[in-house]
Amino acid sequence: MIELKNISKQYVKGKEVFTALKDISVRIEKGDFCCVTGPSGAGKSTLLYVIGGLIHPDSGDVMYNGRDIYRMNSRDINLYRRKHLGFMFQQFHLMPYLTVAGNIKLACNGNSQAEKIGFYLEKCLLADKKNKYPSELSVGEKQRTAFIRAIISEPEILLADEPTGNLDDSNSEILLSLVKEYNNGGGTIVLVSHNREIEKYANRSITLRQGCMQ
Amino acid sequence: MNPITLIIKELFYRKVNSLIILLTVIIAGTVSVAIYTLSKASENETRKIMREQGLNLYIFPKGTNLIDFYSVSNTQAFPEEYVDKLAESKTFDAVRHLTGILQVRYSDWTDPNGSSHQIVLFGYKDEAMQRFLPAQETMGFDVEKGKVHLGFLIARNIREGDPFTIKGSDGSLRSFEITERLEEGRGMIDQGVAFNLGDLQEVLGMQGMINKIEALGCVCKDGRIKNARNQVQAIFSDLEVTEISSIADARENQRLMMNKYGAFIIPFVILSCLLITGLLFYQNITVRNREIGLLKAMGKSTSGILFMIIAKAFILGLIGGIIGFFTGHLVAEYFGREIFRFTSSDIKPLWNVFYYSILLFPLLWMLASWIPALMATQIDAAKTLSQE
Repeated sequence: MIELKNISKQYVKGKEVFTALKDISVRIEKGDFCCVTGPSGAGKSTLLYVIGGLIHPDSGDVMYNGRDIYRMNSRDINLYRRKHLGFMFQQFHLMPYLTVAGNIKLACNGNSQAEKIGFYLEKCLLADKKNKYPSELSVGEKQRTAFIRAIISEPEILLADEPTGNLDDSNSEILLSLVKEYNNGGGTIVLVSHNREIEKYANRSITLRQGCMQ
Repeated sequence: MNPITLIIKELFYRKVNSLIILLTVIIAGTVSVAIYTLSKASENETRKIMREQGLNLYIFPKGTNLIDFYSVSNTQAFPEEYVDKLAESKTFDAVRHLTGILQVRYSDWTDPNGSSHQIVLFGYKDEAMQRFLPAQETMGFDVEKGKVHLGFLIARNIREGDPFTIKGSDGSLRSFEITERLEEGRGMIDQGVAFNLGDLQEVLGMQGMINKIEALGCVCKDGRIKNARNQVQAIFSDLEVTEISSIADARENQRLMMNKYGAFIIPFVILSCLLITGLLFYQNITVRNREIGLLKAMGKSTSGILFMIIAKAFILGLIGGIIGFFTGHLVAEYFGREIFRFTSSDIKPLWNVFYYSILLFPLLWMLASWIPALMATQIDAAKTLSQE
């Protein structure tokens, strides 16, 4: 489904060169729950954003269903992100001026998806928060809203960057159960975390250290 | 979600930023509309003052001695058809209210008491209608045939109800009904009599002749006299044009000065407001970099992000342009009342300016947001979204 071939990425800051990814090759199949772990600065997030089409690697190819996403034109790469990917972040990144429903609607491609908002809100225990603004939510509720936003368009791949980084244990548990449920329904998950505990939800695990796969 | 809904929600959420941007449009709109409206009102005021002052351009044969001309020493005459030809010309628009006049000094008029006086006779041809210009109300110098208007000093010598009598060039005595006795202080006409041109030509035996054309010069960009002279001489090279300076000149100079100030102030205010708007949009983009990063991660195109910023500028430009137009008009009306004598009550909303306002201000404000909008499209989504 997604294949990374010999991906390398370096960041240059002044005279310093930082290697984020070094010759990474990995294949993620449909239905995989792939957990990427490693210490801070290991290149986990860079790997995630490379898959998401947001960081252009210095070398290597990222193949999605046989097409190199970095050889797509801008229209196709936008389409790839809109139709096939869902993103979750540690900081949630909810629009502060939209309600819970509004934030989720932002990711909908058409009315049929918008009609499912109610169903997902029920499922994620947010039905009564539908018209609340992010400032009125707890962190757990914010992350569950961000989760629904990420999956409402029913993407094939859910990319999650430290989604439990700001959550307490019980909220982490709830969220990871929801992510796992999505995975069980056929969704592919790539989840980045420094917390190795999460590996128990995954069927695959990648550990990065200084940009290299261990 | 509809992008317009998103824009409006953001606009209301960041109220202070939106209000300041809106305020910049309103200020630019108010200043521009107020100055423009006052400048137009000033132009009308100048016209009305000029009209109040009477005809201010003299057209007469080249070579006329101006000392004789001003002292009414019976200067060179020319055919009255000149007036009609000028009025028929398509290219002649620098002058209005063309009035052919025969003006002569009559040195031996005997009043009813038998005293002899030197008086001035004026024969007025009906004001010419300029075929290719919009019709206008006449200046009111027309005198009906068989009737006269008496200047104040002459009228003092003739009893109410008596006719005005004068000896013609053939020696016969002619009598005219007095229809108007003019008030004191009207200038040379105080010691004169106004006739219908045909009547005076008959009295003097000067059929078909006049010796000057009086007219009202335009309020033109290049100046009245220059324009009028060029246009008259293009048709009759043997005619000359001169101008009587009047209060209108002072008013005209004031108007031109106001236009000059306007030409500086309007662009200055608009440019300053645009600069402030550009900075406010830049600040807005900086605050929203994560939102924009998120939209990019969700597959929003570059044009979609550009649209979100520029459409916001358009909405604020449009609302501000409309408000600015009306506040500008109110400001012009308020100050116009203080400044203008004749046109203070005639300051009406200039609707053509309104149409320009609703077109120009959204466009300019879109332009001001252009660079920040381009910067928004360059936001590195991965960098902003991974920030803790």
